Amino acid sequence: MNLLNVLAFWRPKKPPVSFTTLFRKFKGLIERNNRILELMGDMGDKLGGEYVFDKQYILSSCEQLEDLVFKLISDLSVLNQDKNVELFKAYERIRHAIHEELSGRHAFDQVSLTIPLESLDQGTVDAAGSKLNNLGIIRNTLGHRVPDGFVATTKAFFAFLDHNGLRRTIHEAVTAWDGKDEAAFDQMCVEIREKILKADIPKPLAADIMGEADALVSRLRREGDKGPHLFAVRSSAWGEDEESSFAGQYESELGIRQEGLLDAYKMVVAGAYSPQAWRYRIIKGFHEEELAMGVGFQLMIAAECSGTLQTYPADPSQKEVMVVNCTPGLGAPLMGGVIKSDTFYIERLAPFAVRSTHTEIKDQLLELNPEGGTVWKNLSQDEGKTPCISKEQLVQLARAGLDIESFLKRPVEAEWCYDADGELYILQARPIRFELQADTLPPPPAPDVEDTLMAGQGIIVQQGVASGKVFVVENDEDLHDFPYGAILVSHFTSPRFSRIMSHARGIITDIGSPAGHMATIAREHRVPTIVNAGDATTRLQTGEEITLDAGNNVVYRGIVPGLRRYELTSQCVFEESYEYRLLRRLLKRITPLHLVDPKSDDFRPSNCTTFHDITRYIHEKAVSELIQLSERRELHETKPRRLNLHMSLGLTVIDVEDGMCKTDEDLELKHVLSVPLKSLLDGMCQPGMWCTRPVSVDLSSFMSSFTRTFSVAATSRIGRNLAVVSKEYLNLHLQLGYHYNIIDAFLSESENDNYIYFRFLGGVTDIERRSRRASFIAEVLERFDFRVEVRGDLVVGRIKKISLARGIEKMNMLGGLVGYTRQLDVVLQSDEDVQDHLAVFMQQISNGPGEQDEQGQRESSNTYTG
Amino acid sequence: MNKDNEKVRILILDDEPIVCKRLKPAFQKAGYDVETLNDSASAMARIEEAHFDVVITDLKMEGVDGMRFLTRIKEISPDTGVIVITGFATLDTAKESFRKGAFDFLAKPFKLSEILDAVKRVEAGRRQADSASDQPQDDTNGSA
Repeated sequence: MNLLNVLAFWRPKKPPVSFTTLFRKFKGLIERNNRILELMGDMGDKLGGEYVFDKQYILSSCEQLEDLVFKLISDLSVLNQDKNVELFKAYERIRHAIHEELSGRHAFDQVSLTIPLESLDQGTVDAAGSKLNNLGIIRNTLGHRVPDGFVATTKAFFAFLDHNGLRRTIHEAVTAWDGKDEAAFDQMCVEIREKILKADIPKPLAADIMGEADALVSRLRREGDKGPHLFAVRSSAWGEDEESSFAGQYESELGIRQEGLLDAYKMVVAGAYSPQAWRYRIIKGFHEEELAMGVGFQLMIAAECSGTLQTYPADPSQKEVMVVNCTPGLGAPLMGGVIKSDTFYIERLAPFAVRSTHTEIKDQLLELNPEGGTVWKNLSQDEGKTPCISKEQLVQLARAGLDIESFLKRPVEAEWCYDADGELYILQARPIRFELQADTLPPPPAPDVEDTLMAGQGIIVQQGVASGKVFVVENDEDLHDFPYGAILVSHFTSPRFSRIMSHARGIITDIGSPAGHMATIAREHRVPTIVNAGDATTRLQTGEEITLDAGNNVVYRGIVPGLRRYELTSQCVFEESYEYRLLRRLLKRITPLHLVDPKSDDFRPSNCTTFHDITRYIHEKAVSELIQLSERRELHETKPRRLNLHMSLGLTVIDVEDGMCKTDEDLELKHVLSVPLKSLLDGMCQPGMWCTRPVSVDLSSFMSSFTRTFSVAATSRIGRNLAVVSKEYLNLHLQLGYHYNIIDAFLSESENDNYIYFRFLGGVTDIERRSRRASFIAEVLERFDFRVEVRGDLVVGRIKKISLARGIEKMNMLGGLVGYTRQLDVVLQSDEDVQDHLAVFMQQISNGPGEQDEQGQRESSNTYTG
Repeated sequence: MNKDNEKVRILILDDEPIVCKRLKPAFQKAGYDVETLNDSASAMARIEEAHFDVVITDLKMEGVDGMRFLTRIKEISPDTGVIVITGFATLDTAKESFRKGAFDFLAKPFKLSEILDAVKRVEAGRRQADSASDQPQDDTNGSA
């Protein structure tokens, strides 16, 4: 042992920080934790479309969040006297990913190089590019047939460029260009394209593309399809088919055999650097790093007839019709305008009557060449005279078109074909860009006041305009008869409506919540929807024609001409704006919670992949740290003690000052002197609250489902629950099941100082049920005059400056609420259940804690441990 | 103010295109005549040549800042209702905006319904002012 070590041994120890000081630190940490959760909730709210926000908002929110999370880790470091290196590392990883996104470099750690079409949804648009992703949604969400295939992702695109050093080459070339010399620009395009065509496709990407194609073709062969299995290879870039339609700017390769797929991939990528496409991007103000290109590989359909459908004609004098153009064989010559076609005008409303027909004599068609590519075939005069589409097919097309229009929130141009079996395939669908934009058109005149059936009633779930016939749904059977294109009117919201969601043009319900499951599906399908409208089912009758303007929350009698067209052509589709997409990408780094179970081995700092994970981890750590600190006797006078109650709450109490009787007996409810804790526990112990058994015979039917679910789902999980108390103060952390309650309250004779803060977060069931529980809690809190904020399943209630008596009453109620809701998410199967439970709870609470009788005691002790 | 059948004219100035892009259709749909501009120099020129009933402006922009723009509008057209929108909302900037004659002050992000309401309040205020200016004549008649 050297001298230094000896001296170190004698170095005096730092005096311990008092518990009160550490507790203050802990409270500060919890406050910061709350601010983080609120900020995350705020940012999530902005995705709903109700708010106008800009890039500055995104930047400053991220900055605030980073700052808060950093300080939160620092808070913990003071509390647990640890450097928390792993947490800081996790923080740095997340922060880095956020900055990459903000600077336009996309972090693709969770994206694969290829994605099959059947796996695309609204979350994959950045990976797949908009064109292919729309096709994926048309197939997977809207349920229409789309040729099988897969997409090489935007991540693959960057991997390909980087593998060949092309990103730098392109950047250097475009920086060196003076912005004027057109000849030099064209030359640059030629050079870049040549480099791309000569480039190597990285092995993993080549293997993925060939593997996906192989899997697809083998499956078809097994199913007896002998082919030829030829592919269409198409671009699917960010922003393509969106606000700035790149229609016709990028290239497609048709009739490609399997062995030619990799070359076709390079052709399509090279297409992005053609003079016309590149110039278009420059004119539109796109940054070079904003070019992210997915490439779609889809099987070609041996089409009997093909064509286009426009849900609104470009000519505005043609009112409320759709236009179908079609030709026998493949559709390419029709798109290219080199062939004659039949034209049909169909009404936009069911039953889609044909308003006019114009047929041509076709003399040839284009078809697939089994050897690859396409060939022309001559038609006899008889063949050429026959219209190539039937009335039934026109109706089918019209429906598909309107479904897609509803989803894209734009008039749509779709390319389609029918195969030999008469199956309809949607090949492409993009929003139409009219010469005459709506902002140069006057809005349609508002209907007369007497035509307004409802106004300002209810909550908007999904904006949009819909016209159609009302269909009132009273029960599940009614759903079988739901007519295509009707507007669904119902008393309740129900997730079962998902079955007819793609048929419904609009939804109006008497009651229901915008956070419910049905609302989620309606948003997914973008069906204009209003919930909680009060008396829609009594005001609207089945068969009645109405126009629902879910943007302005009005229902008009009859079809209001032009309103939907105006809506579709004028509306800013906020989901397609750059800021919206950026925020959504960023939130993926921020809000998902992966660390849910503190008892699991995965509950570690190194597993934190979002700011929410870090926040959750620190909260857990801080509570247990506080308990450990409180056990160190040198820090304070009182040691923490277990409080024994009828229910298994597992509560440790730290008495800072006069919150508990000074006794050596085991602590029980009767020893609690802290006013807020005492009144809370009284509330929790009242009959029907913590206890889950029926207290009223009338309610036995649904209560039986309550208990049944518990027997299956009861998770006897109790965290380290902690109360820090004084005579007038309570700071309580409760982990019950997988969710958290925090209550912080001060109740004294001085009304001005009194406050109660209540926070609820989390749960283990799906988000719909958790949201239902959150809406239940919020509703109860509001009825008790709390100021309430709900974000997802985070509920915060605040009340202040209340008299002592009212404060006690509120704490009683909160005790009841904590007990009642501890596993309520499991039983809230529908939005109706929320109302039922609300009624039960309000009835129970009105009985008050004073009525706890012997039976109540007995039930309380005979309980599940939540 | 406008004659009865004329639309209320709104000018929106914000250097973040997304703000104009979202506000324009919302106001058009509500029956307003809307112009949007992304740079304050053009907006400065525009208010010299045309009259607007309502101006919605951001505060912090490249070039002429929103405060100067606000001051200038009120000089040219004192009856124009100016609504200030800003992502850097502080009590001081709000106070200063009001001192310079802003009708309302909204912190970004805001709800579409909030800004539509603000414009409706401008209209209501002006209707009231109009009827008040008609008032004295009636009073004279009454007292005579």
